[in-house]
Amino acid sequence: MPTFLATRRRLLAGAGVAAVLPRLAWAADTLADVKARGELVCATEMEFAPFDFLVNDVYTGVDRDLMDAIAADIGVKVKYLDLPWTSVLPGLEASKFDICIAPVTITAERMKRYTFTVPIADATAALMKRADDASIAKAEDLAGKTVGGQKGTAQVAQLKAFAATLGKPIEVKEYLDNNQSYADLAAGRLDASVSSLPNLAYVASKRPDAFAVVLPPFGKPTYFSWVVRKEDTTLADAIDAVLIKMEDDGRMATIQKKWFGQTAALPKTVPTPAV
Amino acid sequence: MAFQAAADALPYLLRAAGTTIWVSAAGMALGQVLGAAVCLIRRSRFKRAGALYVSFFRGVPLLVQLLLVYYFLPRVGIDVPPLVAAIGTLGLASGAYVSEIFRGALRAVPAGQVEAAVTLGFPVGAIWRRVLLPQAARIALPSLVNELILLLKASSLISTVGVTELTRASHSYAAATYRPLEIYACAGLIYLAMSLVLAGAGQFAERRVA
Repeated sequence: MPTFLATRRRLLAGAGVAAVLPRLAWAADTLADVKARGELVCATEMEFAPFDFLVNDVYTGVDRDLMDAIAADIGVKVKYLDLPWTSVLPGLEASKFDICIAPVTITAERMKRYTFTVPIADATAALMKRADDASIAKAEDLAGKTVGGQKGTAQVAQLKAFAATLGKPIEVKEYLDNNQSYADLAAGRLDASVSSLPNLAYVASKRPDAFAVVLPPFGKPTYFSWVVRKEDTTLADAIDAVLIKMEDDGRMATIQKKWFGQTAALPKTVPTPAV
Repeated sequence: MAFQAAADALPYLLRAAGTTIWVSAAGMALGQVLGAAVCLIRRSRFKRAGALYVSFFRGVPLLVQLLLVYYFLPRVGIDVPPLVAAIGTLGLASGAYVSEIFRGALRAVPAGQVEAAVTLGFPVGAIWRRVLLPQAARIALPSLVNELILLLKASSLISTVGVTELTRASHSYAAATYRPLEIYACAGLIYLAMSLVLAGAGQFAERRVA
């Protein structure tokens, strides 16, 4: 009975039809596989600036800069696949690629199912408003207003928890992706958008005429990591080793400076999730 | 509106539209072949098998079919590359609809004509070639063009298996520039142009067979 329930929950979670059947043919060790074929296959949704996006059709962003360096260090070539977010985790489980390099917020629920690398960036939830909206100066001013965010993200979960602490409720609208929430904010259907601070800071810097970030961020400190299959701990360890090395030798700081305009020290172990 | 954003995006959108066109065309070709085959099966002793095919591929959403082919088949040891999954699934799904169009068109030819041809001693091949097919083609054509246009637009779902076509490209471009309105308007016009070409080809063909 518990198995049946777990299976049902997986289906409901939309994690994929693929998750229902037992795995039949499985590589024993993905890291050894990657080294043997000389190529690490990474997948992400290239619609999550500044982490993953396309500039003139070329894959660009924080994740690419990090992964290029890591692959060079491990001594393999790297291949990037662009998939809609709904296909990324099912694809990982179906062994269509080796690692998901979309930034995934570390949560307790997800740790049961996947192995996380050490953090690659800050994921603390923050709010963004219209640049000309003077009625919002701090996060608490959103009480009684409407806020949008991407469905199923840890940032929306944090917004709901934050809203519960306010006197008046916040109406939360959930979208398929952040860009729809930004579009509705610009169109005046929302008073604010919730997402991670690095994402919002980047959007506001690209469209300063339209958007402004509400500072300081309201969320508990959380982090983005990459995700590999549960059993691929050797692959995660190899990537962690390079990430920590980059943190120590300043390469991480250079990449942070380039994309976020500021640097922030990251934990060198997978932190216990705050949400 | 910033039309510059749309103008900048145009070369990439057109390149992605190229993928939309050739994947759809391959899917259409496969769909026609499968449709004809299934239609014949449904007129044979094995009509149950044909009916089963139609109910499955017409009854399960294309998105779910794509997910099944791409993410489920590897679990049983069959690894399908993205393009094969995309074209194959489009063709299989389209085949179900096309077979019904063909079946309906054949049934619309009055039975008396076939009976008359049999009485006059026409061989089976000649009945198909000279009585059934010319009339059925004329009846099927408008629905067939309809189905091809639907398939062209349904191809926007194949990004699920990692094939970047027009919708996906506009999505990505809108995400990178934060200018969704201009980019989607541009993508919409490209789809409209492609549909109009199909519709025009259909009208040309109708005049030819009429």
